[in-house]
Formats: sequence, structure tokens, C-alpha cells
Amino acid sequence: MSGEGSTVGGGGSSIDGETARRRSTDRSPIGWLLDAKLVVVALSSLAVIVAAGLVQVSFGAYSMTVGQAWRAVLDPAVLLDPRWLLNFVVGEGLMRAVTGFQGELPQLTHETLIVWNIRLPRVLVGVLVGANLAVSGAIFQAVTRNELASPFILGVSSGAGLTILLTLVVFGSLSAFLPLIAALGGSIAFLIVYAIAWKNGTSPVRLVLAGVIVGTVFSSLQTALFFFADDIGVVQSAIAWTTGSLTGTDWEQVRLALPWSFVAVTLSIAGARQLNLLLLGEGTAKALGMSIERVRFALSGVAVLAAAASIAVAGIVGFVGLIVPHMVRNLVGTDYKRLIVGCLFVGPALMVAADVGARLGMSVIAGTDAQIPVGIVTGLVGGPYFLYLMRKQQHMGEI
Amino acid sequence: MSTDGLERAWSDGTDGASDSNGTSGSAAANPTDDPASDLDGEGLVLGYPTAEEPVVDGESIAVEAGAVTALVGPNGSGKSTLLKGLANQLTPEDGSVLLDGRDVHSMDTKALARKLGLLSQESTSPNGIAVEDLVYHGRYPHRGFFERTTEADARAVDRAIELAGCDHLRDREVGSLSGGQKQLAWIAMVLAQDTDVLLLDEPTTFLDLHHQMEVMEIIETLRDESEVTVVVVLHDIEQAARLADRVVALKDGEIRARGPPEEVVTEDLLADVFRVDAEVVATERGPRVTPIRARHEE
Repeated sequence: MSGEGSTVGGGGSSIDGETARRRSTDRSPIGWLLDAKLVVVALSSLAVIVAAGLVQVSFGAYSMTVGQAWRAVLDPAVLLDPRWLLNFVVGEGLMRAVTGFQGELPQLTHETLIVWNIRLPRVLVGVLVGANLAVSGAIFQAVTRNELASPFILGVSSGAGLTILLTLVVFGSLSAFLPLIAALGGSIAFLIVYAIAWKNGTSPVRLVLAGVIVGTVFSSLQTALFFFADDIGVVQSAIAWTTGSLTGTDWEQVRLALPWSFVAVTLSIAGARQLNLLLLGEGTAKALGMSIERVRFALSGVAVLAAAASIAVAGIVGFVGLIVPHMVRNLVGTDYKRLIVGCLFVGPALMVAADVGARLGMSVIAGTDAQIPVGIVTGLVGGPYFLYLMRKQQHMGEI
Repeated sequence: MSTDGLERAWSDGTDGASDSNGTSGSAAANPTDDPASDLDGEGLVLGYPTAEEPVVDGESIAVEAGAVTALVGPNGSGKSTLLKGLANQLTPEDGSVLLDGRDVHSMDTKALARKLGLLSQESTSPNGIAVEDLVYHGRYPHRGFFERTTEADARAVDRAIELAGCDHLRDREVGSLSGGQKQLAWIAMVLAQDTDVLLLDEPTTFLDLHHQMEVMEIIETLRDESEVTVVVVLHDIEQAARLADRVVALKDGEIRARGPPEEVVTEDLLADVFRVDAEVVATERGPRVTPIRARHEE
């Protein structure tokens, strides 16, 4: 027998003939995390995030050198002062409640204030949005067994888009709740899609078709609503929301998305084995005792939660959820435990890097201060990447 | 091929309740001495939602416990449908399937999957999954939602891989294997499921002779060394006759004959069910069938 225990650590990549030995079943609790490829993916993604993040905190209306920016990010006056840290992360009210501190917070330098108040939260929101979208897309690709599935395949984006337009155009007084309304609209559309697809159970194909149907109807309604917008500001705001933008994001958005992101990511890692089993096909999964409808609905729910969390803070950012799982799958393989972990790094890297283009691109190209929605950049990057994949890979579609 | 692990460990004996506390190895020696499991289909009416007429219309089948039962019949005779019905993959329009007296349809899906394993005819696997990973999926019904693999899982997987004779394939990617090797990997997966009842849908079809024999030998080993009840759909009637303790012949969704191979596999049956003129000679390896010509009259 050769099954002596388990080779601990994915470093066990001895080459066996033509097939690289890759055993995702390293049964030690964290052994699978040490897979060489996954580590490389994580580290290079981190490098991208740090580099793009530094660019983001250095440049802008108040420019500073990278050294200054770096010192501001690592300013001990913030990092070593739990009051300031809490003040940023959870907000002043909660900080005072937690620490019982009533006085005036110590002075910070100008650079530190700009970086921590304005620029850093935007990077963090980008990280959260990227991770959420990537994980959401990865889950939907397993649930629908289709590599071309995105977080928005089951009507989420069109539902969110419609409610965004409704809020901005018709119920203007509710626009303070826009993030929540958008997330809610996406979730409701998902439920409608599920109800339409249900007929003694669902199937991946029926789900996707129902998603297309609901998407078509909702998008038409959404477009129709544009005609009723009489203010160019409303239209621009609507476009920013429906293409996805990180402009003006703040610690408030971090606070809004963080808890849900945490829940969604935890659940998706816990559900990795279910996702792997779904890839074996419905028949096999059922024969192995999976209650397939329940698992499929629950996993879709997790994916919608992740998508909704990102919609609430950034609107509908396209392509990230579609291409990141793809890239990661090409890099670390189909095993969902690794795939999800990989998505947690690559998604933020893509999002933060794209946001550099969205925030600073126009000033480089046209010399203006205008920012474009980050969704435009992800689309510009994502389209060609997909083209490249299409030319390179013979079979695309089914996982 | 060593068989030490086979004995009663093949049956894990417990059901539903072990889910919550099964951490410490449900497949670990749990030598409950309950006999092999009974599987009974009673008055089964089975069909597909897309078709109006049921494929199997009111048939009963009592699978002999601890034996190998072969379902044979021409294409479209309903043998795979019957098997899917027995495996609870198809919900019967009427009738019921009882596993040790319990209706499989009302059983918890995981509890059922710990008692009854099914190898489907068409199995797809994602790219890049290693054989060992695939086999570990067979442990799914033995694990709770958040549970990690246990020693018992590792043992069951080793045993299954050994029994299926695919130890040398362990770290290969399933996608890179030949059809026959793939089948062995999938068989290892259902064996790792460690069930009392094993349903196999045409496990030898499309395989070369060597792998056909490999699969047959696995089934024989199961029968000889454990108490597993096996139902296998076979295309090749001679293979069925040689392998099975009981043969059930179907045509047009009806069971036309059932019994030991020597009684069922006859020239009359081949004419009636398979519409061929054939010569059947009894040999020490069971009846030998030599097909002569197809019958065209009706």
C-alpha cells in the first residue's frame, strides 16, 4: 500500500510522468494552503495590491511622494493607537463606546489624515469588492456548472440596477438607503429567477435561462426609467451605480461591506467541498447523498450575499466575478478550497489595480481630474483577457 | 490483491443518527452483525417527466441479499431505469423501494448514501482532479458539513483504491486516464462510500477486455469476501451469466424472467427477449452464448 498517511504540505509536488502530482486531499488542516502555486498566486496578488494601493494613497489632488505615503499608511500615531484605529474602522461613536474615551483624539499629520481618511478606505473597499465578486463568481460557476457564469448571471445585476433607477428617479427621498435597496433588489431578482426555474427542482440550464429572462425584462424597465430622469446629475449617478464605481467611498462603505464579506467568505470556504462535489455532476452528487436542491440554493444564497455586499458599496462592477475565478482556475486548478482562497487574493488585486486606472487614468490621458467608474476599466481589461482565453483554450464553457 | 480490509468493515451499519457524532470514524470497525441488506422494489412504476408512458410499469423485484444480481435486456428495455428507481434517483410514480424495510424515498439522503451506492453510466469529472481526490468524494455521506477527513476515511479510501486496483493511478488526473482506468477510479469512489448495497449501471460497457475483466473481478471479490448486495446492469448476457448469482431479464419495461443464470439464460429467452437465435451451451463457467442471427419476425 502506498497510502501511508498523508503527505503534509502541498510541497509534495513530485512529478509523476506527464502529470504533475497535485493532491488537494492533503488531509492536514492547513497543508492544502501551502500548495506552491497557491502561495505564488497569493504573494504576487499581495504585491499588486500593495503597489496599486501605494499609488492610490500617493497621488491625487494632494500629491506626496511614495515615501511620504508609506510613512502615512504606517504612521504609528494611528497604528499603535487603538482609539484612532477604531475611530476609522468602526466609527467614532462605537470607538467612544468601546474605549470609553471622551476627550479629543491626538493630532495627526496632514498626510496621515488624507491617507487614512480619504485614500486608504477606497483601497480597502476595492479589496472587499474584489474578493466578494470573485468568490461569488466562483460559486455561481460551480452551481451552474458553467465557466461563463458571473455573480450577475441569476438576475442579481438587473434586479439591483432596476431598484437603483427606481430609487433615483421615482423615490428620490429614499436615496440615503440606496446601497441597501440595490442589494435587496439583486436578492429579490435572484429569488424570482429561482422561482421561475423551479419545476420539481431546478437544473443549471433552467437557472441560467430564467436569469436571462428576468435580466432582459428588468434591463428594459431600467432603460425605460432613464427617460423619466430629468436631471443630468441623476443620470450620471445612475450610470455610476450601474457600471460600478468606487468614487467617494469611505470608511462607512468598509463598515457596511466588511461583516457581510466575512460571513460570505467563511461560508464559501466551508462550502468548498460541496462545490467540488457539484462539479462531479448532479447524478453523482445525489448518489453520494447530497440534497442537491438545498445545497444549490444555499450556495447560490451565499454567492448572492457576496454580490449584494459589493453592489451595496460599489454598484454593479462587471467582469471581475467572471474573469478572476477563471484566472485562478488556470493557476491553481479546479479544487474549490484553493480556488476560493486564490480568488480572495486575485479579486482584490484586479479590483485595486483597476481602480488606479479609474481614479487616475483620466488625469494621465486627458489631464483632467475626472474619474471614471471602475466598472469601465474592469470591462476594458476583462474583455481582451476573455478574448485571449477564447483563442487559447479549445474548450470553454462547461467546467 | 489483499483483502484484509474487506470483511465486515464494508458495512458501516449505522444510519442517520451517526451524522452528528460520527467524527471518530463511522467506518471504523463497527462490526454489527446484521446480515447483508435487503433491497426490494414493489410495484414500481418508473418514468421520466418528459415521456408520457412510464418505462417500467408496475414491476417488483426482490434483490437477493449478499448476492450479485444482474439486470439484462436489450436497449430501451428499462434496466437502467429500474436501477435508477432502486437507487432513488428516479422517484417512482407508484410503488416503493424498501431498503431493509425502510422506504428509500423517505430516508435522509446521506443516510441512504451510507447504505446504498450507485455508479452511474455517464460520469463527468472536472479537469485536474486527482484520482485520490475523486475517491475521497465517496466519503461525502460519512462526513458532516464542517467535518474534516478522519482516519476512518483514509482507511476506507485506501481500501477502495486497493480493491479497485488503481493504486498506481492514485495521483494521476482523472482526465488523463483511459476509459478503463477512469472506470476503475469511479468504482473506487463508490467503494469508498462503503455501502451495503451497490448498484452499478453498465460498468463494463465501452471498456476493453482487460478492464472488463478487472471490473468483473472486483465484483466477484465483493461477493466472495463481503456481504455487499450487488445489482449490476450488464449489456453482455454471457458476462451476466458468468458473474451473477441471479439474472433478471427485462424487455419493454417488463421483467420476463428471473432466477439463477442456468435457468434464465436459455435459447428461448434469447429469442424472446433479445430477438436473436443463439446457441446456449452449459459449461463449467456458466452458460456460453453463441449468437447466430437476429430474428426479424415479430
